[in-house]
Amino acid sequence: MNTTYLPSDFLPIVVQFGLAAGFIVLTMIVTHRIGPSRKSKMKDDPFECGIEVKGDARTPISVKYFLVAILFVLFDVEVIFMYPWAVNFQNLGMLGFIEMLVFMALLLSGFYYIIRKGVLEWEQ
Amino acid sequence: MMQQTPPIPEIIQAIPLQSYLILSTALFVIGIIGVLTRRNAIVIFMSIELMLNAANLLLIAFSSYKSDASGQVFVFFIMAVAAAEVAVGLAIIVMIYRNTRTIDVGFLNKLKW
Amino acid sequence: MYPIVLLSVLGIVVLFLGFMKSKSVLLPATLLFLVLALASNFIDWNQGKVLYFYEMLAVNNLTLAFNAIVLVSAFMIVAMTRGFQDQEEAQPAEYYGIMLFSLVGAFMIIGYEHLIMLFVGIEILSVSMYILTGSDKSNLRSNEAALKYFLMGAFATGIMLFGIALLYGATGSFNLTDIQSYVSIQGRGVSYILYAGLLLLLIGMLFKVSAAPFHFWTPDVYDGAPTIFTTFMSTIVKTAGFAAIFRLLSHSFTPIYSFWWITLAAITVLTLLVGNIIAVYQNSFKRMLAYSSISHAGYLLIAVTSLSPQTENAILFYSLAYSIATISAFGVLMLVSKKKALEGQVDESYAAFNGLAAQNPLLAFVLAVSMLSLAGIPLTAGFWGKFFVFGSAVERGLVWMLVVAVLMSAVGIYYYFRAIIAAYLKEGDIGKIRIAPFYRIILVVATAMTILFGLAPGIFEKLL
Repeated sequence: MNTTYLPSDFLPIVVQFGLAAGFIVLTMIVTHRIGPSRKSKMKDDPFECGIEVKGDARTPISVKYFLVAILFVLFDVEVIFMYPWAVNFQNLGMLGFIEMLVFMALLLSGFYYIIRKGVLEWEQ
Repeated sequence: MMQQTPPIPEIIQAIPLQSYLILSTALFVIGIIGVLTRRNAIVIFMSIELMLNAANLLLIAFSSYKSDASGQVFVFFIMAVAAAEVAVGLAIIVMIYRNTRTIDVGFLNKLKW
Repeated sequence: MYPIVLLSVLGIVVLFLGFMKSKSVLLPATLLFLVLALASNFIDWNQGKVLYFYEMLAVNNLTLAFNAIVLVSAFMIVAMTRGFQDQEEAQPAEYYGIMLFSLVGAFMIIGYEHLIMLFVGIEILSVSMYILTGSDKSNLRSNEAALKYFLMGAFATGIMLFGIALLYGATGSFNLTDIQSYVSIQGRGVSYILYAGLLLLLIGMLFKVSAAPFHFWTPDVYDGAPTIFTTFMSTIVKTAGFAAIFRLLSHSFTPIYSFWWITLAAITVLTLLVGNIIAVYQNSFKRMLAYSSISHAGYLLIAVTSLSPQTENAILFYSLAYSIATISAFGVLMLVSKKKALEGQVDESYAAFNGLAAQNPLLAFVLAVSMLSLAGIPLTAGFWGKFFVFGSAVERGLVWMLVVAVLMSAVGIYYYFRAIIAAYLKEGDIGKIRIAPFYRIILVVATAMTILFGLAPGIFEKLL
């Protein structure tokens, strides 16, 4: 396998980038040029299944959703510790297994705390 | 206990270490400039994350070149801890938004000497 | 190691205790847990240097002594919370739990042997503090303090991490001992990347202990946070932070002392000047204490900069003296401002103390002793703290720095005495303040310790 690269070997990538950017610019120009453009109050309204628009699109989302999202991020990221553990499972042996059990127990006690706090009860 | 890490394929080293150093320093500096110039708490926060990721990139690059896994382990910890920090930070920002309806840091002027 | 494991588990226990109907069990339970941690701390006493957690944490008598200071300070502060009974929307279980967790972070940065431990410890400590700072959720000042602290703290973390990454690049290891052997083999010929890394790491850590020019968040945060948590921040974070900085520099970077001491000396002098001079212009007592904590960071930095054999004892004694005095000063402030708040005015200025001595001689005395100790007047612990710090600077021959420090101590006397004058000489009308018995004991013990260490600092050295 060839392991030495000259700068010229990266030329295809540059060409690729150029083509991608060029395509976007081209289509933007073309659609603005050839498409008919009519503006009216009715047409600029956001589409809400044909009914009249009510309120602002940027309505605040329930804080419950925020809490769930944040908790998801927390628990999701903790999983990264399991990848290296899983790869080295054989080498780490029993001690590694117990350590992971301790880790999971701590994580689950956090989860239990969240449930007891009632964060996940949607209807309240 | 620790498994001997296999040597890193030469293909990684086709890009010199200096390039990584320059890239991550650039990211880091962009992050710092973002923190210092932006007024929106969320954008400042994003800039801080950029700084953390610059450090992550640097750690990974060094780790590959030294064939030493400990740098990657550190990155795992940074990611996990950064997530915790994000949770707390966003909670603080939401708390402020509820009370003031803005997240512009210029609004924070109650405390002055 | 034992207190780390113990408090991690007991912190969770406290969180779950919060689900019980009666909240009154929380305070005694937390205090009991702190005592248990203190007892377990001394299991390793006089064992020499012991390494734990795959050689990532070192334990020796010095780290155990720092742990003990942190634990004693935490005990006093927790005792002064009185269960947060008088706050309606307080979440006592969470506050106590977070306090215990943050102590775990403090222990980690006191005894780290591996930079991962340093990073994780600092983050545990800081993230806990962000939460506690913003715990008064409906108060805009508390909100603002929390956001400022969070943004600045995370910024500092980013800088610190980049520094660690560069250090790793230069030395190929996160282990303090490996870094030390790399540095001593290379001598002054170490790669420039190492210099950059060390500087960035130091900046990040100095941020956390609020040394100038990285101090600008401190007054706002200390002012905006609920006073009890300000006390926690200004004592425990500072003690642990200085233990960490001292550990880094003394353990790994003594061979390139000639590189970093100039930077650190400049920061030290700047910190002393900024902390003391701006403190003079404060009208709020709480804000003055924030600047005072910056200036004390400056004195502690003198000890770190001089890095003589005396330094570790000097830092240890100084942190203890400073912590006790700060706790009792904030303790009195909390009582007085609460009394004022009941009368419908939130008042944390010097004027709040006017006429304190007339009906509350004990409080006035406690305040006076803590102010004298912070100012470094003889017969208090603070005097000997300064004495040891200056002694280590003399040993290194940093006389010019000493001149600045002594001048700034003289400035310090001015603003510390303003509180004493307000309490004893000014006319004012504070009614009799009721003090809970336990609170009174803490204040008396803290004052007694300040005077005891002031009369006989030798006791402390015998203990070590």
